[in-house]
Amino acid sequence: MAIDRKQIIDQMSQIQILPDDNGVIEGYNVLITQFPTTFWNAFAERLTSKVSEDILQPTEYLLYNAAHECGYHTGYGIITSDEWNAVVKPMIEKAPEDILYGAYAVFTAWGWADSEIVELVPGEKMVVRAYDYYESDIVDYGASRKMSAYMIAGVSAAFMELGYAGEYDPQGKPIGTFQCKQTKGIECGDSYAEFVVTKAS
Amino acid sequence: MALVKNTEVKYDHYFDRKTKRHTINDIQSVLHCHHYTSLYTQLAIDAGETDLLKECARESFRTILDTYFAANPDIDTLKAKVEIGCQYFALIGLGKMVVNFLGTESGEVMLLSSHTDDGWKKKWGKYDKPVNFISAGYIEAMFESVLNLPAMSFRAEESQSLVMGSEASKFKVTRR
Repeated sequence: MAIDRKQIIDQMSQIQILPDDNGVIEGYNVLITQFPTTFWNAFAERLTSKVSEDILQPTEYLLYNAAHECGYHTGYGIITSDEWNAVVKPMIEKAPEDILYGAYAVFTAWGWADSEIVELVPGEKMVVRAYDYYESDIVDYGASRKMSAYMIAGVSAAFMELGYAGEYDPQGKPIGTFQCKQTKGIECGDSYAEFVVTKAS
Repeated sequence: MALVKNTEVKYDHYFDRKTKRHTINDIQSVLHCHHYTSLYTQLAIDAGETDLLKECARESFRTILDTYFAANPDIDTLKAKVEIGCQYFALIGLGKMVVNFLGTESGEVMLLSSHTDDGWKKKWGKYDKPVNFISAGYIEAMFESVLNLPAMSFRAEESQSLVMGSEASKFKVTRR
């Protein structure tokens, strides 16, 4: 059975995420929040739009890195979860490629972005497109000159590491094996966003 | 016999199959993990922008509480609104909050558990300073919302912290 993206999205998007008696949500090996998207967008955009040009890139890197670490650990939690084993695992014929295709269906189901892999060179390169994503909501009119989907970029690098950078390491040592560059963005006037993941130089 | 009305926050989750976006109680929401929270908080500390992090939290959480109270006019007492505020704090995964007292001039809030503190300790261990600027923003928003006061009416400062080893976090709330 090949990866059935629609079926994964249909099933994984309906999982109810509720807190325990301590108000904490534990799942997928991590502690989870379900905040308004406006919170994440507001902090990232206000911070990057107020810093000077000379520290913009390091600031953007830190936002990207937050998602990179998040994606590595949460991504591993997702692909080893009971829900994954029930819904996605039976569809996997070729690992790790099918795992990556399935992971982007889950990525979509979680509300991170309506995204999919459009090119995958095993161990070398991955190109991801996102057709709708909350990080583009920072622009209501016109087009920004700044690509702002730090979260999608960071998580995409992390997913490639889960696929091709060896066994999962709870300390996160493989983080940084791959890098991701956003090359198109809805917030910049493009009709979709594009992300290119390659080995880190 | 007195009628006892239990106040319980609603969880109305919807996934839009066209946009692939989630809403909870009509507010667009997204799942993230404690690594993300911890690294955003660390970034705010390093950049000297903890007030910005709190400001963004206050504004976003004010919207969810105001939206909720507008959609549920039966929640019409201060006690019920505070209960909902505490339950909503848990619903979004922020932790367990107890309001010791709340007034138009001041207040005190305890956190018996906290996503931000628990997540930070899980990732990096204890820290020598409070880190929970996101919850401080929530507390400021909750005081504004339940008392129907303008934005930036309060300042919440963490004076005791789970991440520093205390059994609970304590926030002192003062009027600006």
